[in-house]
Amino acid sequence: MVVSREEANKQFFLDRYRMLGHRLTGDEKTPQVIRVNTVKTSDAELLKTLTGLGVKLAKVPYLDHGYVADESGFSLGASTEYLLGLYSLQESASQYAAQTLAPSAGDTVLDMCAAPGGKTTQIAAIMGNRGLLYAVDADMGRIYALENNLERCGVDNCLVYHGDATSLDLGTRFSKVLLDAPCSGNYVTDPSWFRNRSIMDVQRNAETQRKLLIAAMRRLEPGGTLLYATCSLEPEENELNMEWLLRNHHVTLVEISGPGERGLTEVFGQKLGEELSKCHRFWPDTNHTQGFFLAKVVKT
Amino acid sequence: MRLLRRFLEQVGSMMDPEALKIDSKRFTLSPELGRRRFSRENLVYAGTYLGRNRRLFEPSSLLLQMLAAEEGTRKVHLDRDAAWLFVCGRDIFEENVKRVEGVLELGRYYLVMFDGRCVGYGRYETSAGIRVIRNLFDLGDFLRREGSG
Repeated sequence: MVVSREEANKQFFLDRYRMLGHRLTGDEKTPQVIRVNTVKTSDAELLKTLTGLGVKLAKVPYLDHGYVADESGFSLGASTEYLLGLYSLQESASQYAAQTLAPSAGDTVLDMCAAPGGKTTQIAAIMGNRGLLYAVDADMGRIYALENNLERCGVDNCLVYHGDATSLDLGTRFSKVLLDAPCSGNYVTDPSWFRNRSIMDVQRNAETQRKLLIAAMRRLEPGGTLLYATCSLEPEENELNMEWLLRNHHVTLVEISGPGERGLTEVFGQKLGEELSKCHRFWPDTNHTQGFFLAKVVKT
Repeated sequence: MRLLRRFLEQVGSMMDPEALKIDSKRFTLSPELGRRRFSRENLVYAGTYLGRNRRLFEPSSLLLQMLAAEEGTRKVHLDRDAAWLFVCGRDIFEENVKRVEGVLELGRYYLVMFDGRCVGYGRYETSAGIRVIRNLFDLGDFLRREGSG
């Protein structure tokens, strides 16, 4: 029997997830979720408008301004309210990242791989459009999307820089850094994932992520907080990177509570430090979100 | 600044923002951001985006919302259906204008409003003998940019 590359990949990765404690099918989906843009409106005002248009909304209990949305006859990504920037389409686990960073108006925040700007606009909203938010991305095409999002969402506390986040000199240090690192992604949000991904990609991404982590530590002021996030289920890009960070930098992990599961402390038979359980994972089978990983560290 | 000022005058604005230039784009900084020192190298976007110079000044959605909040700017108000046609790039027939702030005069420019927010701007003119608000910019541009980006 001939097995396609896609089928072989699928089996390979699903076997890995089973070894990590999750029997995934590879067909899990995540619902459409909106985030109310509090820079421009309130939850109550937007809910009244959207429900009046026939949209069914259900609050996501662990999100401050996130609602699962069932469309009714029109695209939520092309309504007048969307174009006015009253809400964004942003998956639940992704929304939890900026919420966990918990920036405030007194912070100077860096979003290291910012485009297309879903989390950047969320950070600006949490900061009440005050303080100072730096957004960096290496890809000018994606920065274009970031700029459009900042404009649409009414963000005015942000500076956007084009360049490689590992080498760009921004001339300042930051109290909070979001490193939503380029990663292998996951099959829930990418239907071609099993066809296009291999373990080599995972290893290559893990190396890039370590370079970005070094840059993040350099930019963080002492006592500052880094939130590391990926939408990858692969431990090489997640717990193993965090273990490397703890070994090589002066940082402490901060426990992340809420929905989802603790970080892994054993990966494919390899024991990791117990403190890695302070990291946080979203799994597609138990959380009905995309695969997502979060780690919060403080520079000591 | 010349094109930006001309645009502001056209819609009846008294605003005189201090503009920061990055290529053809124009920005203004909040007092809080203006007090901070930051590197200009590799900077592509800063603070409040006002719009960009092309043949004419292309206002941003941010600037339009600022103008919508300004008393004295000329505005026409639409209902949901007319506003949707406008953000789809259509001109608006005079009879679909629900309310006017200022006097409706041929050749003048108007912010196009829906539910207290600005969805674009246009010029009141005669087209094939019919009086319309001719669409010069609308928020559907965000989707059109995605399509071409």
